[in-house]
Amino acid sequence: MTEQEIIDKTNTVFEEAFEIEKERLVPQAHIFTDLGLDSLDIVDLVVALQNTFGVKIRNEEKVRDIRTLQDIYQFISSIKNEEIKKSS
Amino acid sequence: MRCLKLYVLNLYFYTVFLLASGVVIPTLTLFVALTRLFQTQRRAMKRFRRSISLYGRIITSLPYPFIKLRYEPQGADGAAGPFIFVSNHQSASDAFLMCVLPDEAVQIVNVWPFRIPVLGLYAKFSGYLNIRMMSPEEFIRRGSQLLDERVSVIFFPEGTRSTDGSLGSFHGAAFRLALASRASVVPLCISGNGNIPPKGSLLLRPGTITVRRLPAITWDEYKNLTAFAFKNRVWKIIDRELSTTENRT
Repeated sequence: MTEQEIIDKTNTVFEEAFEIEKERLVPQAHIFTDLGLDSLDIVDLVVALQNTFGVKIRNEEKVRDIRTLQDIYQFISSIKNEEIKKSS
Repeated sequence: MRCLKLYVLNLYFYTVFLLASGVVIPTLTLFVALTRLFQTQRRAMKRFRRSISLYGRIITSLPYPFIKLRYEPQGADGAAGPFIFVSNHQSASDAFLMCVLPDEAVQIVNVWPFRIPVLGLYAKFSGYLNIRMMSPEEFIRRGSQLLDERVSVIFFPEGTRSTDGSLGSFHGAAFRLALASRASVVPLCISGNGNIPPKGSLLLRPGTITVRRLPAITWDEYKNLTAFAFKNRVWKIIDRELSTTENRT
């Protein structure tokens, strides 16, 4: 999966599950202050990301560090890379 | 002269408020306590909550005709209760205005309403939930329990009162409770009481307050939404309604 595909799919999660307008989905957007999510919305976000990318998100520490959309792109990318390493 | 009239109105209201509270609260308490001897706990609680609602109706009728209160249920509402009511929050009087609802209900409140002498104690006894004093899981458990007992739950999801009349962003607790309990959500629009009383003051000003009950949003209509998306949809419904009623731009 390319970086652009991760960005597009993540943005689609925010558009469809959270009904946030496309224009607001910029990499530097802070998910709490700019997009308006609260700590409990993260649970829904994790579920939606798991379903979209077919991954298990378990590392709570890494999830807690997420602040911006860019952080999410990198987080998904790192999970995907770990999966590739494990399968090879 | 106008200022003097305002002070006279307030002197009148607060005097009658204290007198009425001094009579009505003990009378209703005694009535509920006596009926408890012959009724189940559940029926006694229902009567207790109805009594609080009746007290609210008496208090809100005191400043009439200087302050008028209108209740406007909108459209044919076929959804069955209990409901999760979601209202905008403009004034300290909002909690009293919920007496217009015919439903047995409790309010979800912050810390300070429990600190009001006498009334805070009654709020606690009637099952009002202090959202700041429990975990999200505990809140969902207790909120669902109330709804299972067919007691509606009232939220002011802005948390704090707006100072400029604009609708603040919503907290998600009401919508998480809805998704957990499948209860219908009813948006409420309170208008006209931004100055009755204004934030940071107890001075009431004359006016007409309207509580508009919008059609219920049923489980089927929101079951596929996340709490966040649902919250924003209800925010938009209330904001649109307020824009219409208050001619905001």
